[in-house]
Amino acid sequence: CLMGVVPAISAVAQTISGTVIGADDQKPLPGVSILVKGTNTGTTTNANGTYSLNVSNASTATLTFSFIGYETQVVAIGNQTTINVSLSAGTSTLGEVVVTALGIQREKKALGYATQEIQGNALTIARETNVTNQLAGKIAGVTVVGSPSGIGGSARVTIRGERSVDLNKNQPLYVIDGVPVSNGFTGGSGRNNTEVDFGNGASFINPDDIESMNVLKGAAASALYGARAANGVIVIKTKSGRGSKGIGVEINTNQTFETPLVLPKYQNVYGQGNANGGDFAFVNGAGGGLTDGTDEAWGPAFSLNKNYPQYNSPRTLNGQPIDYRGGDLNAPAGSVITATPWVPETDNLKKFLQTGNTHTTNVAVTGNNESGNFRLAHTYVNQTGIVPNTDLKRYTTSFSGGYHFTPKFSANSFVSYIKGNSGNRPSISYGTESIMYLFNCWLPPSVALDPMKDYWMRGQEGIRQFSWNYNYHDNPYLTVYENTNGQLYDRLIGNVSLKYDLTPWLSVQGRTAIDYTNEKREYRRAFSTQRFPFGQYRESRIVTEERNTDFLFTANKEVNQNWTVSGTLGGNQLQQKSDFLENNAGQLNIPGIYNLTNSRIPLQTSQAITTKRVNSLYGSAQVGFRNYLFLELTARNDWSSALTLPVYARALGVQDNSYFYPSAALSAVLSDMFVLPQQISFLKARVNYASVGNDTDPFTFTQSYNPSDPFGSSQVYGETDRLANFSLKPEISNSFEGGVELKLFKRRVGLDFSYYLTNTRNQILNIPLSITSGYNSRAINAGLIRNQGVEVALNLVPVEKANSLRWALDLNFSANRSKVIELSDNIQNFVMASRGVSIEARVGERMGDMYGIAFARVQNTDPTKPYYDASGRYVGQMVFANGRPVPTTERVKLGNYNPDFLLGINNSVSYKNVRLSFLFDIREGGKLYSETQTVGREGGIIIETLEGRANGYDLSLPGNGVIGQGVTVTSNADGSSTFAPNDVKLNSRQWHTAWTGGRNIAEGVMFDASFVKLREVQLGFSIPDRIWGKVPLRGVTLSLVGRNLAVWSKVPHVDPETMSYSGGTALPGIEYMAIPTTRSFGFNLGLKL
Amino acid sequence: CDNSFEEINNNPNVPTQVSADLLLSGVLRNTINDQVNMAWGIGNIVVQHTAKIQFVNEDRYLWGEQNGVWNSVYGNMRNVQNIIDLATAGKQNNYLGIALVLKSWLFSLATDAYGDVPYTDAIKAKSTGVYAPKYDTQETIYAGILADLTKANELLGTSNEVVAGDILFGGGTGSLVKWKKLANSLRLRALMRISNKRNVGSDLQAILTDNAKFPIMESNADNATLTYLAAAPNQWPLYGARVGSFDEFRASKSLVDRLSAINDPRLPVFARPVEKPSVAGKIEYVGIPNGLGDTPALNYNGGPQGVSRVGLPFACLVCSSPAPVPNVARGPVMTYAEVQFILAEAREKNLITTGSAETYYLNGIKANMDFYKAIVPAEYSIDVTPAATYYTQSGVAYTGTTQQKLEKIGTQKWVALLFNGLEAWYDWRRTGIPTVTPGPDNLNNNKVPVRFIYPRSEQSLNGQNRNEAVARQGADDLNTAVWWDK
Repeated sequence: CLMGVVPAISAVAQTISGTVIGADDQKPLPGVSILVKGTNTGTTTNANGTYSLNVSNASTATLTFSFIGYETQVVAIGNQTTINVSLSAGTSTLGEVVVTALGIQREKKALGYATQEIQGNALTIARETNVTNQLAGKIAGVTVVGSPSGIGGSARVTIRGERSVDLNKNQPLYVIDGVPVSNGFTGGSGRNNTEVDFGNGASFINPDDIESMNVLKGAAASALYGARAANGVIVIKTKSGRGSKGIGVEINTNQTFETPLVLPKYQNVYGQGNANGGDFAFVNGAGGGLTDGTDEAWGPAFSLNKNYPQYNSPRTLNGQPIDYRGGDLNAPAGSVITATPWVPETDNLKKFLQTGNTHTTNVAVTGNNESGNFRLAHTYVNQTGIVPNTDLKRYTTSFSGGYHFTPKFSANSFVSYIKGNSGNRPSISYGTESIMYLFNCWLPPSVALDPMKDYWMRGQEGIRQFSWNYNYHDNPYLTVYENTNGQLYDRLIGNVSLKYDLTPWLSVQGRTAIDYTNEKREYRRAFSTQRFPFGQYRESRIVTEERNTDFLFTANKEVNQNWTVSGTLGGNQLQQKSDFLENNAGQLNIPGIYNLTNSRIPLQTSQAITTKRVNSLYGSAQVGFRNYLFLELTARNDWSSALTLPVYARALGVQDNSYFYPSAALSAVLSDMFVLPQQISFLKARVNYASVGNDTDPFTFTQSYNPSDPFGSSQVYGETDRLANFSLKPEISNSFEGGVELKLFKRRVGLDFSYYLTNTRNQILNIPLSITSGYNSRAINAGLIRNQGVEVALNLVPVEKANSLRWALDLNFSANRSKVIELSDNIQNFVMASRGVSIEARVGERMGDMYGIAFARVQNTDPTKPYYDASGRYVGQMVFANGRPVPTTERVKLGNYNPDFLLGINNSVSYKNVRLSFLFDIREGGKLYSETQTVGREGGIIIETLEGRANGYDLSLPGNGVIGQGVTVTSNADGSSTFAPNDVKLNSRQWHTAWTGGRNIAEGVMFDASFVKLREVQLGFSIPDRIWGKVPLRGVTLSLVGRNLAVWSKVPHVDPETMSYSGGTALPGIEYMAIPTTRSFGFNLGLKL
Repeated sequence: CDNSFEEINNNPNVPTQVSADLLLSGVLRNTINDQVNMAWGIGNIVVQHTAKIQFVNEDRYLWGEQNGVWNSVYGNMRNVQNIIDLATAGKQNNYLGIALVLKSWLFSLATDAYGDVPYTDAIKAKSTGVYAPKYDTQETIYAGILADLTKANELLGTSNEVVAGDILFGGGTGSLVKWKKLANSLRLRALMRISNKRNVGSDLQAILTDNAKFPIMESNADNATLTYLAAAPNQWPLYGARVGSFDEFRASKSLVDRLSAINDPRLPVFARPVEKPSVAGKIEYVGIPNGLGDTPALNYNGGPQGVSRVGLPFACLVCSSPAPVPNVARGPVMTYAEVQFILAEAREKNLITTGSAETYYLNGIKANMDFYKAIVPAEYSIDVTPAATYYTQSGVAYTGTTQQKLEKIGTQKWVALLFNGLEAWYDWRRTGIPTVTPGPDNLNNNKVPVRFIYPRSEQSLNGQNRNEAVARQGADDLNTAVWWDK
């Protein structure tokens, strides 16, 4: 009886073998992964494309053949012992194997959480020097905002919105081959210098070494990486030699040109001055002539009949021409500046900027045999920015190798050495060192640009600059050619792992990894620079090191036909160190010698060393049932040095430096569980719950006394204004996620839908205190931030004809809402950052809300409040006093910088050897504060400032002066108010300053940041190999590429997709003198030898 | 889990304890620099020592938030409190006395600027966990200030520790008597400040009567003025300014006209001759009226070259050629001249009976002349020596009615308080001397502001206490008089 239920077909293992070829070229495919479905048993094809695999229960088993860039095939074994497969190139993700936490490859269908992948070749054809910019539009739920600095700058990436009220703590973790790398924002400012963006850690990753980038969006995907993964993980798998046939050589070269995407619109009617039309005369550029000390464009209208002495007008002495210009203040006494025509210099900024140029060449050599493989690659990037004399060079040499010492014992390693240098990265933000400060606010169109290229006064080379204004500004060519912010760095990212198969189902792996950067920054400032009359030389040396050492046991066991079990158990030690040393020669003795020994005043030094260590133990278990139901459980415990009280603080608090967090994920392939209509090829549901703990920065428990520059021989210290809290708890964030994957009509339609909800609690915040308490902030555990959102990835193949036309359409949609549920008992309102507007977390409101002073308006809701109009007649109208908009007394909400939703639409059309793809990136909603608008109005530079001076400055002429639309208010004796239409006319200059209440009112300079961007276009031609005959060229592909080719938006003057920097923090939603973003176009050529 | 954790998380970069001298130097530099910057930004403007030719908001009373005093006082009080705690624990009476002088001075700046402010509960976040201190009435604060100054005078010199970090008086035992003099002189200032509310005569007289117990400043050598250094970053705070930013500020017509009328030799110290005089080659000083609109301000007297720049002793590195000397001007807390004017007024009002008002008055003028005479370098070719007739001309001579005499005292005091933080404004609000007329384009209904509004951040960070203060004191605007001014 018992015998009767034993299947007639025996459970004896069967050897299955065969060859895998590519459908397109009919050539063998090495490196194809073959997996017995529902197990972790598998192999890969060798260099000849053949494989051999022992399979138990072969007759009922199914093999999955998958290879990056090819359609996965699933073949039931049945009676076959030889299975030959032809894989066709494609983009389907069904049955895909993805790299998940700790570098473990897993079948995507077994995952209970959302992931989305980009293949490496999508990163290298249409390129970005900062590879993280590539995620925009391609991955649902990812928001990327690029740097305002041009070349290779930082990018702010957020996944599923912001969880932390610390703006710096919302970035995902970057992981290369299973090992985290650091991604700090390393902006630099201080010592009277304005901000410089030196790029963040991820911006250094070389796209040519990336095989795939897999975005693990939620916390469940990342519980095994620890706290830093709470904001999602970007898992980067590097290319290897696996799969190459013998020795192969690949060459890829890319050349693009960059031009500004959006340029400000300037007025070209009125020149320098602020006397509302009075004459102009340059004498000394500092008020010695007629309005020559001002930097505003409220001067006389241009006219061919007007001649004025100008900074670039020639000088004469006793009637004879001399080789001195108006602005050469060292000209011989008695020399006279000849008046020259008063004509506009149009498009100053456009003339100043140049076409950027980015060249990349990558050469990779790969090799592979039965016992090992390697890949050795070198990449050279040479970029010159659109700002003159800005550049970036990057040399990356990478090696990856794998070797089987024995069938059971193998080693793998990846090492990448990156050497970079930049002679100059531009100064950004608002200040004399930033060229945009000049161009967008303070450079009147009467100032000719070209003569400034000769930027020293005659005979005063290196000592005294030549310029149009000596009161406030630097010659922009002096700024970019002499006042440089150089950078040199060496970065080593590497890991080595050893793996040993203890039994067929159990292996152990040990791994150690390092990410080490040694960086030097040099700030040079020439003599006569406005902020540095004696020049400056400042040098920073920054060494950062992150080490990860871990071990991992991995077990895979097929219990029986129905059940498979796998699990991992591991431990990790993370150590982060940074060592910062800066010396500043605030004044120089001898011009042009940029060396710390050339300081004419005592050097100013600052130094900081930080260390942090986190020890962790973790484990996971996966249970599979009938290959359609999968449960994964994870657990982790961390012990952090950053939550450990130093000895002196032991008695003052309570220590809690250990934190545990689990996760569970369930995946069900419904299409395998139930019989579904034929149209449904695949249906999967997934759900997970995860918790992630977090620590804090090192030295949070230090109540320090900080040194500052000594006063003569008296040393100076002061207590920090942040009050330490010695009883901090670890942070915790809990998230729930559910999703559905659906494939219809033989996979012509694919849908991936996710919903998530995350609660982040007990954040360690420095909450602001009233300074009257003696301190500006105090560290506490507080807050509950709730993120909810949906992501939809829709993949359509509307047209598909064999060996002919194929059109694929991919849509990525995401919408996120992050809400502040609680802060702390005393705090209803937390100012996260402030610049023009303040970014505040207020209880009950959305994260990313921006507050600022608004226009006071008439209301009829509250009689006790000002501007109450019982009649209701004027409700909503702006209130004016003396013709000027009246500001509100309190900050009010002016909008939110986060979008309502994001949508990426990628079209890909291929016909035989030609492939065309174009990506539209759409952002709906969100606001942007524009400082260019605020200050550009004051300066009279931007086109808006023609309002009110259509016919000059005479207020009796039509079109001149502005009467603001709104009402004036008279207070009556009984406390009520009488309203009347505003009838006070301001002149244009007054009006445009009044519009912002003198940089106080933000409402008038907030813009809808929605946009549509043509993010990427690629047109590629593959040249059939047979054309080359005996010439050893293979796989030649030529592509024409473009990125950010066009933008449609309502934001004037600037790219709506921008942010600013403040003290190393990226501030989204605030534009503050951004350097124009670029469109880039060019070509890419790839070939193999 | 890891025994090295507490070692790793022990910050090796900075100390968690320092001695009082290291804090004292920082408090003095920061607060005095802040005072100079406040004088420059708004103090000199509101009392019409200077006026602006561009960016004229301050001059038109479009003030918005003025948080400089607030942040300076409370930010520095953190370290003053640390000195108090260290000195109390270590029985260092000298440091404690100095800290109490500084505390009194700082809180007087805050309350004079804003009215009711946190005092009793302030700076207690670390010691007792008070994160939102209540606001005290100005009356309470002044009682505290006077008590602390009295206590400081008692403490100073009663312990043996040698004071270091004293960049104001040079430290050591020799400085202790100067701190005592400053304590008592500040007490004179504070008593005078509240003299419209309290009968302060006996307290004033008590100080004068027992000079051994209550020494006060006796000459310019006792001045509490910070001498800056030649090298950055400890130069005169305005030395690093851009020329355009510096030259937006010009000599006020009020100052130039008043000094010209009495041939005052200090005028070339405070102002430079115009570049374009009415007659070529003439040395001419022209001040600009305060409170003009943008265009009239810029066009006044033919434009910027027709208006006197602020004097060379205060100017920036690139403000003239050859470059000004970097450490001419002083950072004042209080000077001997001010003490003499206080006594002159007190004597004239018969609040005290010691000495003669005229002597005090003339001493004050002379002290201020001597002060500048000593610091203005020879290369500026400015002779701060009054003509023989200076003191006898009718505009200066101590003659006339009591009111006229008080006006002369007040006007000379006003001159002597130039660049002394906001003291000239505080004093003007009490006395109304000299006359300050709002400019024609002012935006405050022809009223000179008499107060700063509270920092807006207090609305969210300490809202309830701030609201109570507003309810008690009056609307949180520029025109609500503080207690001693009511």
